[in-house]
Amino acid sequence: MGALTDKYCIVGVGETPHMRPSNRTTLSMACEAVSKAMEDAGLKPSDIDGMTSYQAADSTSSAHVATALGMRLNYCLDILGGGSSTEALVAHAIGLIEAGYAKTIVCFRSMNGRSGRRMGGQVPGGPIPVATAEGDNQFNMGWGWTTPAQRFGMSAMRYLHDTGCTTRAFAEIAVAHRYHASLNPKAIHRSPITIEDHQRSRWVAKPFRLLDCCQETDVAAAIIVTSRERAFDLRHPPVFIMGGYARMMTENPQWNYSRPVLHYVAGNYGWKRAFGMAGISHSDVDFISCYDAFTFTTLIQLEANGFCGPGEAGDFVKGGRLKIDHELPSNLSGGHLSEGYTHGVQMVIENVRQLRHRADDACPGWREGRHTYDRSKGCRQLRKARICCGMAWGWENMASCLILRGIAA
Amino acid sequence: MAVTIDYTKLRIVPDPDTREWWEATRRHKYLVRRCNRCGHKWFPPNIPACGKCASMDAGWFETAGTGVIHSYVVVTQPIVGAFVGAVPYVVAIIELDDCKEDDGTVTRVAGVMTNDESEVAIGLPCKVVFEETGNPNIVMPRWQISGSAEKTWRFTE
Repeated sequence: MGALTDKYCIVGVGETPHMRPSNRTTLSMACEAVSKAMEDAGLKPSDIDGMTSYQAADSTSSAHVATALGMRLNYCLDILGGGSSTEALVAHAIGLIEAGYAKTIVCFRSMNGRSGRRMGGQVPGGPIPVATAEGDNQFNMGWGWTTPAQRFGMSAMRYLHDTGCTTRAFAEIAVAHRYHASLNPKAIHRSPITIEDHQRSRWVAKPFRLLDCCQETDVAAAIIVTSRERAFDLRHPPVFIMGGYARMMTENPQWNYSRPVLHYVAGNYGWKRAFGMAGISHSDVDFISCYDAFTFTTLIQLEANGFCGPGEAGDFVKGGRLKIDHELPSNLSGGHLSEGYTHGVQMVIENVRQLRHRADDACPGWREGRHTYDRSKGCRQLRKARICCGMAWGWENMASCLILRGIAA
Repeated sequence: MAVTIDYTKLRIVPDPDTREWWEATRRHKYLVRRCNRCGHKWFPPNIPACGKCASMDAGWFETAGTGVIHSYVVVTQPIVGAFVGAVPYVVAIIELDDCKEDDGTVTRVAGVMTNDESEVAIGLPCKVVFEETGNPNIVMPRWQISGSAEKTWRFTE
């Protein structure tokens, strides 16, 4: 077990609605998310003394949010980062609290991801009228190859070639995550879909169809980390941080697409570290979250993190295995594919709610942890939610993981 | 079939590390970086240091501009305005023939190939061609299928 296993907890989570468009500033949305996370934890602004955030040169800063909310911080920092940064900021918060730089830290991401700056450079109304290709973009924009769908599609295509997997495996993920969104009042898309719906949806960047791609939304989300001693005094049962890895890279990162095997992604280098730190094995995991910018990113992380062998993920997900009440429920809020796009924060938030046994579903008693487990009545709380493995993706050669447990684990 | 790209909607901005690369494309030469200390080759050329020995003495290697398709995507939804009239088009990752190193390291590059997905398959040989853009400072490298191969794979769903 890691030296700090179970010493730190996630005690507050909160987010704005998923909007498109928000017609709001990233500062306004960040203030709402941070306030909701504080309210969830039972903390006042004066109880928070550290704040961090990540962004892609598209958002407000910790200092702005703290000033707006009347906080005097002992630590603030904003980093440039994409997917897999949430788990890294949690790891960073543990280090800061352990070293005495701060006691209770809120981490946020606020983005107008649909109405403002979109991933891959597309402008709100559609294609970029005149594109300027500088830096790395000199070597992708000129060949019309800029978006995550177009980039990750290369690894997905090679995966299909190498393994014999078909896009019906991608569909399994879209269907499972949409089913969970159907049980989430906050989700953008709540109508269940079938494998055939996926197969009939239009192409975006072959081998990806529309239903392989996540939603783009305007949203802010926040989580609060503090020590176990403080956590016990707060509103909800604490969720303990057991272990993880953060912004783990592959070898040979000089160019992602010159790596020997395009789909040998960063999680392969990290999962033994995370499970070793947590002191658990895969069979101890009750449910997972798995960064679903695309169906494929979930698929490939399952094998990267040792839930199945290399090339086996297509078979592994068959038959609804990732659905609630099946073997390994994944992304119980509906994830990026169906709930909305927070750049990764929402997976941690949902995992915390599940581990507290307080999923915010249609059950009237959810706030007190009373659930019907009747999916037909909109319950999305797992019966058995004790240990969760959250896997996050930045791109093929960048990944994070966060293993959490609830108080009853 | 050639992809029609509207280069008036694309502004390439070379920098101190890439200027020579873009100058070479004007002379119809396809360069990759080569480490002057250990000989390692890499792409893209804006990376200023050798990934094997960390030397910053980065020179150039003129490739034959031939390779094999390692993977590809078919873009049907244009994001860059210059490509609005170009969809669908195939972008491929090409493993260069003459950049293989003794320890198995390879150099791959990316480029636009064709509108016709049925021409393309993983495993097919291809070669670089150079396209005038209307801007005398920028000549764009593109890739074409140059032959056949015994073992190929094509996405068929």
